[in-house]
Amino acid sequence: MVRKEDTVTLISAEGFEFIIDRKAALVSNTLKNMLTSAGSFTETELGEVRFPEISTPILEKVCQYFYWSLQFASGKETEFHIEPEMTLELLMAANYLHT
Amino acid sequence: MGGACSRKRDQREGDLDDGYGGSARFSRSFYFRWPSRNFERDISDEQDNANKAPSLLELAVRETCKNTQGIKSFEKLPRDLTQKILNELVQTQALSRELFQAFEDCAIQDIYLGYYPGVDDSWMEVIGSQKFCLLAVDFSGSMVTDEGVQCLQICENVEIICMNECKYISDISLSYFTGFTNLTSLSFQKNKLITPAGMRHLAGLPNLKHLDLERCPKIHDGLVYIKGLTKLEKLNLGWCNCIRSSDMKQLSGLTNLLELQISRSKVKDFGITFLKDLKKLEVLNMEGCPVTFACMDTIAGLTSLTTLNLKSCYISDFGCRKLEGLGNLKNLNLSYTNVSDAGMVYLKNLKSLQFLNLDSCKIGDQGVQNFKNLVNLKSLDLSDSLIGNHALNFLTGLSKLESLNISSTMVTDMGLHKISGLTSLKSLNIDSRQITDTGLMALTSLTNLTHLDLFSARITDYGIGSLRHFKKLQSLEVCGGGITDVGVKSLKDLTDLTYLNLSQNGQLTDQALEALSGLTKLVSLNVGNSSVTNAGLQHLLPLKNLTSLALQSCKVTLWAIQKLQASSLPNLVIVRLR
Repeated sequence: MVRKEDTVTLISAEGFEFIIDRKAALVSNTLKNMLTSAGSFTETELGEVRFPEISTPILEKVCQYFYWSLQFASGKETEFHIEPEMTLELLMAANYLHT
Repeated sequence: MGGACSRKRDQREGDLDDGYGGSARFSRSFYFRWPSRNFERDISDEQDNANKAPSLLELAVRETCKNTQGIKSFEKLPRDLTQKILNELVQTQALSRELFQAFEDCAIQDIYLGYYPGVDDSWMEVIGSQKFCLLAVDFSGSMVTDEGVQCLQICENVEIICMNECKYISDISLSYFTGFTNLTSLSFQKNKLITPAGMRHLAGLPNLKHLDLERCPKIHDGLVYIKGLTKLEKLNLGWCNCIRSSDMKQLSGLTNLLELQISRSKVKDFGITFLKDLKKLEVLNMEGCPVTFACMDTIAGLTSLTTLNLKSCYISDFGCRKLEGLGNLKNLNLSYTNVSDAGMVYLKNLKSLQFLNLDSCKIGDQGVQNFKNLVNLKSLDLSDSLIGNHALNFLTGLSKLESLNISSTMVTDMGLHKISGLTSLKSLNIDSRQITDTGLMALTSLTNLTHLDLFSARITDYGIGSLRHFKKLQSLEVCGGGITDVGVKSLKDLTDLTYLNLSQNGQLTDQALEALSGLTKLVSLNVGNSSVTNAGLQHLLPLKNLTSLALQSCKVTLWAIQKLQASSLPNLVIVRLR
């Protein structure tokens, strides 16, 4: 059983919710700051972050990256595929998320 | 990292040569070059972030750069991202003139296009469109003309301009920089057109800190325009053979100078006297200037000096006397001068010395005796000197010594055991005909060696076996003629080797190449003047990093090499068969 405090909910511009492991979310420095700071962000308490500027497919890709990154660090060095048509949007998201 | 950080501007400014060129040790052999830039970056990535995933930003930048078709403008992206994309495109050489247009008006800060193929005036329009955002620009080695440089006129905040080797840029270009009060660094090396008429405009750049005019043949009498630039810290006039003693007068008030290069200029003793007030000077490079002991009085007063290069100057023992008080010296080059044992006494107390070059000086054992307390020495070059085995007795206490060159001296096998305790040695050159297997075997304790030069030493298969102790070896030269296929087999475990020269060993056959096939880090291989044939080339297939291969006078045809390049060794760009 996955406990609620071990997960984080990321919400896209369209309102789509991605529930991912907290550990995966911490790959992003921006999320790390939001989720670990002492009470100054409401996100810290709710475990929920809204991204009004990131579309659903991009946020999905970002989540995939979080898990891929964890695998990579543990020694499973595979390629991370990025669809050419989403590169620019993904760039902006990666920049914002400091990832 | 691929998308290099945009703020690292300082790194791009050419490091002034300290007279100890890092690649000098490879100079005798024909080429040493790393594979393509792409490859270089990947290697450093792996080393820096072992097991750390590339960031999503990095991946997205790379992917963007792979699919640039149809992109009309990057204007909508934040400028730090645009900067990253530009850097990546330049690094992977994927930037075309058309694509560069997409960077118009993108508020980019740093545009480094030095030696990038195809850069001309049309590129300068895009650079100029960054207007006041532009902080650093490099278009060295380009076809840019004065007209192109004019585009920079509106970039009034620019701090760094580098335009070395631009053969169409003349005096008028410098006029476009008028009013650039933020400009701190300007470089136009190898410009054959700029004269005092252009130099005149430098007087209006009061905040210049770095000015690099290396190899400009027409700038004499123009230095009068920089005499008011009192913020100058680094000035390079090296290889400007038009510069004479009288030009030095203009530098006498530049008291903030930290580095001055006048190598191979025509400055004589009289010219050096104008430097007497440059008390902050730390680096003075006057290699090959026609100066004598008479200039040494002035030098003696420059007590901040840490680096002094007097290579090929007419300096004798009498001149050495003046070095006595330069207690801050770390790096001293007296190679190819007339100094002898008598002069070495004055170096005895220069305890800060780390690099000492006495190549081709008349130094014997007695002179070396004065070095025994220079415990901070990291590098000592005594090649082509008169030293013999006795001199090595005085080196035993130099525990920080990392590089020692005693090639072409009278040192023999009998003496080498004396340096066997210098375990910090990384680089050793004992290239001498009288060195044999016996001498080499006395050195097996030097397990930190990464570079070993035994070029003409009479090493045989017997002696080469002792190389297995040097597991960290990256470069090796054994060209004395005594090595056969049997001996090459003992190199098999030296898997860090990147540079290997086995030429002049006529008995080596295809089997030797087979024995080398596991040395996959090899970048350069020389097996010239051996009995290698076309049939042996197949053993080189695993050497994917190979960029240069020398097979002079071997039974190898160009056709066989081309096949090898096309099929599996794309990095192999330098081939020598004759």
